[in-house]
Amino acid sequence: MPDRPLQRISYVEDDEDIQRIVRMSLERVGKMTVDVVSDSTTAIARITSFKPDLVMLDWMMPAMDGPTLFRHMKQNQETSALPVVFITAKATHKDMEELLTLGAAGTISKPFSPKDLPDQLRAIWAKLP
Amino acid sequence: MNTLANGIDSVEPAARVAALTADIRERADPAQVRADRVEQLYSQLPLGMGATVVTGVIAAWELREGRLIELVLFWGGLLALVVLLHGMLYLGYRNDARRHENTGQWLRWLGIGAFAAGAVWGFAAAVFFPSHADERQVFLAFLLAGVLSGGIPMYAASWPMFAAYAAAIALPFTYVLATFGNRLFAEIALLIPLFFGASVAIAFRLNGVFLSGYRLRHAYQRQLVELQEARRQIEASGRKLALFAERAPIAVLELDTDGVVHEVNHAAELLFGYAAGELVGKSAKQIVLPKYHPDFDREWAAMVKSRTPSAGVKVRNPRRDGLTVVCDWTVTPLVNPEGHLIAVIAQGRDITAQLEAERMKKEFTSTLSHELRTPLTSIIGSLQLINAGVLGDVNKDVAELTEVAERNGQRLLDLINDILDIEKIESGKLALNREVIRVDELVRESMLLNKGFGDRFHVRFEPRGELLTYEVNADRKRLLQVMTNLLSNAAKFSPEGEVVEITTEEINGQLRVGVHDKGPGIPEAFRSRIFGRFNQADSTATRQKGGTGLGLAICKRLVELMQGRIGFDDRDGGGTIFWFELPRHA
Repeated sequence: MPDRPLQRISYVEDDEDIQRIVRMSLERVGKMTVDVVSDSTTAIARITSFKPDLVMLDWMMPAMDGPTLFRHMKQNQETSALPVVFITAKATHKDMEELLTLGAAGTISKPFSPKDLPDQLRAIWAKLP
Repeated sequence: MNTLANGIDSVEPAARVAALTADIRERADPAQVRADRVEQLYSQLPLGMGATVVTGVIAAWELREGRLIELVLFWGGLLALVVLLHGMLYLGYRNDARRHENTGQWLRWLGIGAFAAGAVWGFAAAVFFPSHADERQVFLAFLLAGVLSGGIPMYAASWPMFAAYAAAIALPFTYVLATFGNRLFAEIALLIPLFFGASVAIAFRLNGVFLSGYRLRHAYQRQLVELQEARRQIEASGRKLALFAERAPIAVLELDTDGVVHEVNHAAELLFGYAAGELVGKSAKQIVLPKYHPDFDREWAAMVKSRTPSAGVKVRNPRRDGLTVVCDWTVTPLVNPEGHLIAVIAQGRDITAQLEAERMKKEFTSTLSHELRTPLTSIIGSLQLINAGVLGDVNKDVAELTEVAERNGQRLLDLINDILDIEKIESGKLALNREVIRVDELVRESMLLNKGFGDRFHVRFEPRGELLTYEVNADRKRLLQVMTNLLSNAAKFSPEGEVVEITTEEINGQLRVGVHDKGPGIPEAFRSRIFGRFNQADSTATRQKGGTGLGLAICKRLVELMQGRIGFDDRDGGGTIFWFELPRHA
């Protein structure tokens, strides 16, 4: 378990409505600082400059999907150590398992409850080494 | 398909050959054989009557010179009467349309006739032998011997008849010879029974030969009729088979052991776009993609060797026009009773459209999953944030409406999830994540999870008695889904303030979890379809209390996937017990 509380989150998501809800949930309910990235192709640069505690990735995105972005992050020295949580409407059990073996910290399925989202993230955070 | 039938039938099983050659005569109809014998006996009558008349006239002429002319005339009269009666018998027989059935009667009359004829000759021996001189006696003895021997061919078809005829001649003759007082005659009298015995023995043998002949004739006739009938049946079933194949909506190909096409049906022509003539005589590889030819050769060789039929072989086959179709093949080697492979029947069903439909359904399900859930995430999420008070207090009327909106958004989401679940279960794509679960822990967890739901309907969930600590091997998440369905149903249908009780018990190695409600019970008419899809006893209940009508259908499928069963019983004093059983983990 990391020795500091979960505070800074980068969220990569193309759907503006969901961006707004997640931002509101994490900021208002979870009292966290959120940086939302709409374009997955610029995500690595944004994440590198924001320096989050944890990154949340959407699965289905038009330019580059979540799993691909995740693999890119793993190859980048500055982002490879960041814990990544997938948030998705689609993934099957098998896909989830595969992501977890690739090194994802956790998965959250859509639709999620914005009331509970900060607690879900903190629970994943607490389980990290 | 005729070659098939021929291939099978041209080779007789060894057992059948043995049975056929055993004794074909046994197969003859005894009534027909008897009719043949009677026919043969009567057919000899005119000849016999002619011979009797000629012999009788010569005898009367020779014997007339004695003193007993009246006696000769009397004897001649008797003989004429016997011949006349035989003539009438012959005509009567010939004119009887049912003579082949009344064989017993005609045989009896002829027997009497034979004895009478013999007796007339015996009378001649008894009366004329003692009263004549030497030469006439020799004549008479010769005559009687001739008449007796003549009876053998006459009565060859019935040795007892000949025996009666011959005995009627021989007995009186033996008697007069024995009592004549002459030593030579006495010695002849001793020889006559021997002669009689030998004649009867010959007649007996002859009778056997005749009988055997008749039986053979009828057995072969019968065999012939049966063979014709069998041939007719084979031809009929051959035509039927050919029709089955020809009119079948699936492609049927008959191949030889080398994989060369022998015959194809119309559906095969349509499916692959070749005329029958373009397929017959060529290798079946014509409708296999070239890159799969080595696979085809290997599979074919294995099939020819093992003669194992196969089904459900999915192959992409090229058509004449260059397009391809995906076929589901059933391949059946035909083996004759000797164990030789004589042909291979391949039946192909075009499943191209079916596969496309399956692909589209999958795509639709995936779209449903993503495209519906994403906007719902925004809708429910927004409403939840408002209703949770995160954004501060809202006007009471607004709050009421946003709660309605959230609840219905949730309902829509439940419905989508349920449809996806059913689809996943029915397409066999639901993978269970089995683990060993303690039943009491599962029940407590489900009660905790559904407490909020119970509160909404002012219903409490409570275990009755001690919960069992036994274990089951099941999917925790899916089992909780089942429990949630049962508990929420019980809460929805119980009156406010009631307690829903949960029990655990073991019945014959099965662990049973029961949910006891105080609801109105299940209407009789609804009982049989309660576990069906989109079924609710009262559709107004759906609007009032929510629910998709898929819950119990999903529960049933999930429990059965985990080798259990689900059901319900009436509860004493009103209400219903819904239960499910799972095998206890050893």
